[in-house]
Amino acid sequence: MTTAARGGNGAPPFKAIVADYGPLISRIASSYEADPSLREDLTQQIFLAVWQALPSWRADASLKTFIARVAQNRSISFVTKQVRQPPVAEIPEKLEAEAPNPEEHAIESNEREMLMEATRKLPLPQRQVIILVLEGFTYPEISEMLEIAPNALALRLSRAKAALKSMLEHDE
Amino acid sequence: MTDLDLDRLGDVWRQQPDPAELERLRRTAATVSRRARVALIVDAGVAIVAAAVVVLLVLSNPKVQTFALGGAAILLLLGSNVRQRRLRRVELRSLSGGTEDMLDQSIERVETELKHNRVSLAAMGPVLLVGILFAGAAESRVASLFPAAGHLPMFRTLLVGLAVVIIAGAAVFLALAIRRGRRELERLRAMREAYRHERETTTS
Repeated sequence: MTTAARGGNGAPPFKAIVADYGPLISRIASSYEADPSLREDLTQQIFLAVWQALPSWRADASLKTFIARVAQNRSISFVTKQVRQPPVAEIPEKLEAEAPNPEEHAIESNEREMLMEATRKLPLPQRQVIILVLEGFTYPEISEMLEIAPNALALRLSRAKAALKSMLEHDE
Repeated sequence: MTDLDLDRLGDVWRQQPDPAELERLRRTAATVSRRARVALIVDAGVAIVAAAVVVLLVLSNPKVQTFALGGAAILLLLGSNVRQRRLRRVELRSLSGGTEDMLDQSIERVETELKHNRVSLAAMGPVLLVGILFAGAAESRVASLFPAAGHLPMFRTLLVGLAVVIIAGAAVFLALAIRRGRRELERLRAMREAYRHERETTTS
């Protein structure tokens, strides 16, 4: 079995997948895990999950959607296994109360980092929606991926946007 | 108070990482896929070697007892292998499905693992007894193959010591796995509840 022919289902070679979707995977991992060493661990787990799940991908489905799904689900299961560190999604108040040190603050001054940090504080269901919107998925795609009705998605997104806006304003 | 410009934020979010970061990702992925391929080969190799060892032990001492114990050991190996593969398949299916389904399946998986670990911990006593019987049955054969070693008190002490360490280690491992499983289950249930709450409040 080679990286170029996992399952023979028309999937591109794993190398090409990494080149095309590596940044997407990295961003999803970053939006679930703030700790750099754990994030590296999570990124590896996502790559492994994609490698293992690739034979079950059907050529009539979008590969980007498939990879984003695997990455999000793997990230969520990773977060549940971090017993020593409570998941940031469930306790935003605690995180907000933590003052960053000067070095962390310097990093967070970057707009992208601020956005990533704010996203990590969102409750899980809202975070998923925001990540997918920021990744450029369409609303019908997101509805399908999360298996929720369009109006429920609109409501969830509206809540997520309000929470994100408040956090970004708070950080400025 | 203006609305969030998600298009602009999306552009910020999707900033292309620098070449060094891309190279690091490529290396990580290459390492992961190489390890996964090696793990597949090692898995199959270990199963074959373990089965071959059991068969050799049984053939070297062809008695009803060793046949029965060897058969049981091979069945156990096969069962464990099939179970592992099934769990992996279910996990992969859930990874590419909906998150709520994945959480449901994860809860089910952790509950099953917890039950399995509890049963394994409780079964350690009977398994130990079977192990002693198996060792007793094989002892005469070992002694005839390695007569000098069989009579060395040091050799016996080392074997017994090793067995005690392995059993104690397995018990500690199971106890820790049970504790870890309980915590994971709590978290999974909390997350499941968060999704349920979100669903209820966005559909009502």
